[in-house]
Amino acid sequence: MREFNIVLAGVGGQGTLLAAEVIGTAAVKEGLNARVSEIHGMAQRGGAVVSDVRIGDGVFASTILEGQADVLLGFEPLETVRNLRSASEKTLVVMNTQRIPPTELAARNTAYPTVEEVLAKIHVFTSKVIVVEAAELARKAGSRLAQNSVLLGALAAVEGFPVKAESLVEALRELFPKKHVEVNVRAFELGRDSVRKERDRV
Amino acid sequence: MPYTKVLLQDAPEKRVLLLGNEAIARGILEAGVSVVTTYPGTPASEIGDSISEIASQVGLYMEYSVNEMVAVEVAAGAANCGVRALTAMKHVGLNVAADMVITLAYTGVRGGYVIVTADDPECYSSQNEQDNRFYALLANLPCLEPSNAQEAKEMTVYAVEISEKLELPVLLRTTTRVSHTRGPVTYGELRKPNLKGDFARDLKRLVMVPANSRPKHEVLLNQATKAREISEESPFNKVVRSGTEIGIISSSSAYNCAVEAASLLGLEAGVLKLGMTHPLPEKMITEFLKAHDRVVVVEELEPYLEMQIKAIAKDYAPSAVIHGKMNGQYFPKEGELTTRLVATGLSEITNKKLPINFRRIDEKYSGVVKGLPSRPPVLCAGCPHRASFYVIKKVGGERAVYPDDIGCYALGIAPPFGVGDIMICMGASIGIGQGISKVTGRDTIATIGDSTFFHAGIPGLVNAVYNNSRIVVAVLDNLATAMTGHQPHPGTGMTGMQSQTERILIEKVAEGCGVKYVKVVNPFRTTEAAATLKEALQQPGPAVLVFRAPCTLMNAREKKRKGVDIKPSRISEKCTNCMACIRLLGCPAIVVEEGTVRIDENSCSACGLCVSVCPFGAIEGSCQE
Repeated sequence: MREFNIVLAGVGGQGTLLAAEVIGTAAVKEGLNARVSEIHGMAQRGGAVVSDVRIGDGVFASTILEGQADVLLGFEPLETVRNLRSASEKTLVVMNTQRIPPTELAARNTAYPTVEEVLAKIHVFTSKVIVVEAAELARKAGSRLAQNSVLLGALAAVEGFPVKAESLVEALRELFPKKHVEVNVRAFELGRDSVRKERDRV
Repeated sequence: MPYTKVLLQDAPEKRVLLLGNEAIARGILEAGVSVVTTYPGTPASEIGDSISEIASQVGLYMEYSVNEMVAVEVAAGAANCGVRALTAMKHVGLNVAADMVITLAYTGVRGGYVIVTADDPECYSSQNEQDNRFYALLANLPCLEPSNAQEAKEMTVYAVEISEKLELPVLLRTTTRVSHTRGPVTYGELRKPNLKGDFARDLKRLVMVPANSRPKHEVLLNQATKAREISEESPFNKVVRSGTEIGIISSSSAYNCAVEAASLLGLEAGVLKLGMTHPLPEKMITEFLKAHDRVVVVEELEPYLEMQIKAIAKDYAPSAVIHGKMNGQYFPKEGELTTRLVATGLSEITNKKLPINFRRIDEKYSGVVKGLPSRPPVLCAGCPHRASFYVIKKVGGERAVYPDDIGCYALGIAPPFGVGDIMICMGASIGIGQGISKVTGRDTIATIGDSTFFHAGIPGLVNAVYNNSRIVVAVLDNLATAMTGHQPHPGTGMTGMQSQTERILIEKVAEGCGVKYVKVVNPFRTTEAAATLKEALQQPGPAVLVFRAPCTLMNAREKKRKGVDIKPSRISEKCTNCMACIRLLGCPAIVVEEGTVRIDENSCSACGLCVSVCPFGAIEGSCQE
């Protein structure tokens, strides 16, 4: 199998690292080799968070080389843009539309970039973008906190992603706190269906 | 932590995904290590935290020691009674423990003893990026460097074994990318811990008076020679790839980058992977040097391997051509080594063209991120430190000097507070403040956290009383070692075994040290706290002010557990959008949308600080004034 690289980019508190762990756990369940890197920010909440997930026999290093991401899974628009260094024309960007305004914006009294502005920046690197309304889908599943599972579901529907959806769900069931599992499985399914629909439309 | 259950599984050959630090915890269980001590610090914390969760179940003893020095002392005591022990710390922790470690190499140990040092190239969460492999050289101790989670587990077990064989402590040196990368790990057999030790009086061995130290130094050097023989035979030092175009010698996460960089360039490289990097396997390295026309040493931070390999070459393979970072400038000595940096260096050395145009990517990238708002770490919504900094800045203003310390509260340097003028290492704020106060006469307010106060603040405080320094020590007590994951400390009344213990109160410690003015305030009662701080600044000698309120994340968890609803604060129609709340507090829950201030109800923890400071009384919610 050739390697498959995913960058997960979000904000502390969004469950980005847990999502990355789910992907890595599912890959190992399938007998694949994987690396999941984490940078634990200085504060517990609110800082930018990035995790690189790499799957494949030839994978040694923790981080993804510039331009070599197969998928950039953006949990938040600004953080998606901030991690475009990993993207190139081959990269599929899957982006949550839910904005988390950095405190700097309030302090400078400036507006958050519009969706069009964000998309224009992404298009400098790649034309392949799927936008996911993860907040809306998570709410539908039963908890606004389940956005990370929506995005995991979205990833599962991406063409070429080497891990089965069932393995992801199995890992999710193991790793999420028991009482939140059902909501997150629902969120996963909604995320997966939304990307499938998008794919069929395109 | 669902993984603690996974860690305990008695399932040899099972393959699971583990964090490097969790793999070390599993190694502890497979080696039958019975005493684990630590002081939390990124990127080492999960080793102790994983063990703390399961210690009583497994029957081993675990403690969060007050600092790294004491952690080594406790473990060394146990190891000298024949019990297997391990101490985990971040790299700078080894500076604190160094006095103990370097002479412990003289006395040696009876039970296997491993010191894990987790280094932090790139300073992701540290004040420096020192290369702790030099401690192995300095102390003459064996050193192992894993490159992934599987090796982290295996080397933990191996380190215990060679420690017992050599009767020496062994350093296990990880880096952020090893400790904080998850990878597949195959389990081995679990080994029951054995906590029962016996102490045998042996003055010549254990009492390091000069007459005993001199012969023990010789013993240590003899053991180091034996360690070199082990290194020559070690399964962790080996040629993992053959290829004649060029030779690469590498270790740790740099090895991972080197292998991928060589593939990227299509290099037929021979690779000597070093897992035991002190003492180095001289014979093995000599053979490798002789087998390749040119050898590149790829390592992170200092040219630790390169210096020694060049010294080996001078004696045994004088015609070898060795490239690295010492004079060739092919790789940087600072920061994290990445596949890109290694590939770039290898490309310069071999004249092979890079298949990726990194510069083009950089140009495009700098274009899209130009003007992009940054998202640095911030104090959480509801963080009691925000209230403390608001009070401190209000009273001290631009007049006072603010020595700062290590913890979440280091974020006080950022706007809007700017509280934090000098920060070096754990506990230093109190001593540095005294020096500043003596020579400037300015009001000096040292801010230090609760865990940091116990770790290294107390000697500084005693010094302030003894030498009558005019300084206010503001202890920001959020009842946890918060930044590293809410570990308990002596002021919490809980232990690493998750049992209750005597709670040591910071104010009592301060009084015991002889401080005449000691007060405890709730930082959210800003008026009262400010009045007390003003009074503290009037004192002729040292004053201690404890700002006490629990970490907001712990508080929220506790409320959730008890089923108490958090009722977020709300902006009423009285709001004039004067932005005072934003200017004064910089709380991430207060956002501005199209010029209008709004409180994000999902982020707000209802601390009420904004309710207190709003000049128009326009924020509704509970307030602790």
